[in-house]
Amino acid sequence: MTVSRRQLYFFLACVAPAGKLILLPARLAESAKNDLLLPAAIHLALQAAAVFCALLLCERGETLHDMLAATFGRVAAKIFLTVFSVFLAYAAFLPLLEEKLFVQSVYYDTLPSITSFAPFFLFAAYLAAKPIRALGRVWDILGIVAAIGYAGILILSAGSADYAALAPAGGSGMGILLGVLRTWGWFFDAALLLPLAGHIEAKKGTAWRGALFYLVGSAAVLLFLAVFYGIFQETATNQLFAIAATSKYFSGVSMLGRVDYAFVFLLGLVVLFLSALPVQGCVECLLQAYGREHHLPAFLSVGISAVLLALVLVCDFRFGDVMSVISGTLFWIFPLFSVLVPALCLALRRSHA
Amino acid sequence: MRNFFRSLPMKLYILIAAVLAFSFFSNDFGLVDIQKTAVILAAGIDRTENGFSLTAQIAVPKGSDRTAGGTSSVEIEAEGETVSDCVSLIFSKTGWVPKLVFCDLIVLGEDAVKEDVIAYLNYFLRNDYMPDSCMLAVCEGKAGELISTVSAIDDASSLAISKLFSDAAKKSGKVMPCTLKDFAIGYYGVSESGYLPFIRTERQKGGQNDSLQSAGAGTGTDGEQKIYIAEETALFSKGKMVGLLDRNETLAVSLLKGNVFSGTFNAMDGDKPVTLSVVNNRGKVSLDSRAPSVKLSLSVVVRLCCRGVTAAIDDIASDRVTDDILKSCKETLSGYVGSMWEKLKGSGCDLFFLRRALYRSSPKRYGMWKDDVPFLSPVTVEANVRSMK
Repeated sequence: MTVSRRQLYFFLACVAPAGKLILLPARLAESAKNDLLLPAAIHLALQAAAVFCALLLCERGETLHDMLAATFGRVAAKIFLTVFSVFLAYAAFLPLLEEKLFVQSVYYDTLPSITSFAPFFLFAAYLAAKPIRALGRVWDILGIVAAIGYAGILILSAGSADYAALAPAGGSGMGILLGVLRTWGWFFDAALLLPLAGHIEAKKGTAWRGALFYLVGSAAVLLFLAVFYGIFQETATNQLFAIAATSKYFSGVSMLGRVDYAFVFLLGLVVLFLSALPVQGCVECLLQAYGREHHLPAFLSVGISAVLLALVLVCDFRFGDVMSVISGTLFWIFPLFSVLVPALCLALRRSHA
Repeated sequence: MRNFFRSLPMKLYILIAAVLAFSFFSNDFGLVDIQKTAVILAAGIDRTENGFSLTAQIAVPKGSDRTAGGTSSVEIEAEGETVSDCVSLIFSKTGWVPKLVFCDLIVLGEDAVKEDVIAYLNYFLRNDYMPDSCMLAVCEGKAGELISTVSAIDDASSLAISKLFSDAAKKSGKVMPCTLKDFAIGYYGVSESGYLPFIRTERQKGGQNDSLQSAGAGTGTDGEQKIYIAEETALFSKGKMVGLLDRNETLAVSLLKGNVFSGTFNAMDGDKPVTLSVVNNRGKVSLDSRAPSVKLSLSVVVRLCCRGVTAAIDDIASDRVTDDILKSCKETLSGYVGSMWEKLKGSGCDLFFLRRALYRSSPKRYGMWKDDVPFLSPVTVEANVRSMK
């Protein structure tokens, strides 16, 4: 049983964009100000191209390990998959901290204890131990949930925005470049698809359709960014949790209370699954490299989740430092693995060739 | 032994799950007991010699009598070097955890606005639990004293003041409410300007005092009952108060922004005063920045009907807006607009965010004219006054 194309398209169009609606808008506004759409568009276009490459690879119907082994040999394949799994675990860290901060700040009305978010790692460990094909069923449901959440928030928010605040385009100059460099940590969707190679029911044409669906999701992200900046303008940098902030100015909210939270919860649920996805990819890479022994999936998923939990506990009050290291000092790791690697993987040989 | 190792992952998983679940539920979901929470309804900030004074109006249960209803409040004052320091002191003094999630009003004292007010507002602006849609205002005298007054019309002074900033009040053109978010956008934007309603208090006069008290308003205190007026508007530039618009000038700003619906003002019908109601309003402040000079024009379009005219007993239909009244209205409104603009020019406050509009339309022209814009004199001031047919 594999992930069907419909399920894949749901992921690309609806689920993947949800991870870019929490901290990323404020981070983009910090660097690029009213030009925040430009760095986001550059990232999304690059990722759409990388998704196209990754899906072209998936169209071969073989796992990444098989293709690597056929090209470079089994040892090199193991080394690459181990390194790639480390990258995925590393890439998982920022979304995890982001989701943790989001849950603690938005769902709790005072600062909760450090352990409040810990049950997430039970969930991540469970999900990562499941076979990767189970993702398809998850995406079937999450696609619809994300679409409803996104539409709800956008409907409640769009009327409160002053879109003239986005003018003049290009005024930020170097800020646009800085915006691109400082936000790489949120753009690694193509890398998430590589462990799925061999588990996706991909045929000829899946690649460009997948890229097209990714661009549809990207358009939704850009629209949300425009609404976000239109509402908060110069104070956008201050709004760390964008999806929970934009819809509160809807006139009905002042009378009925935060009814918009229904949609925020829906998107929060989607982001929860999305945050666990790199962990799942990481486990899958290691399983491809070292085989699927009896309890290895469970050991790996629990082990990786425990390590991430420990790191989250250690970095509880150091989010700013972590963000500046991941998306500042070490930003180059993301384009390397999420753009260059999918493109270079197209040069891999087929195992049966 | 082999069986033990085979079942080890599941045992480990259950153990970790149990530990995490225990830590999750042992925290009461991280919530604070409501009995130990100070629900802050409003905050008043004043400048002192050593820093700040924060007066928080805290909602307290009104008692077990269900028929009483409403909201009782106490005011707690704390002095510190920063606003955050003051909030911590309130916690120390009362043992209640201050909770800003229901704080809908921040009042700044007259002394506080002589300095850059963002020093006080930053704490609220960066607080995740504080709604940035809360109203901001400046008051005559000390904000702490205003917050502590007894309202003649509501249980708490903050609730009475909040009523002044309703949508209906805004549409009347007499009040220009401003939220924390809008003030911050104006401050951090290229215009570096903003406005806030200016609150004055008046002693409640008339015979309704007793009946209101018996209905529950202002009970439990011996203080004099007050009513609040916010028809003036404080002007801000770079975070400091730089001027004050009176009630007519405030109406002129509202008319220029096109906000007014069913607002009223007075004009003359010969030697008799008449009150006119605005049933439709459009306003425009336009800037023509094409070189070699920048030109400003102001335009107000209002459609009026007559209210409160002194008519003879046999002329009940005398609510027509005559040409004389229209002429008087035009002169009156032009006068309000002109007087308002002179004050803006004198203060340097870019109340209509013209610099921002210029920057958005052309950064090059913005570079050329940004320093001149707040001090421009309008080339045309047009008041187009029509009668409702």
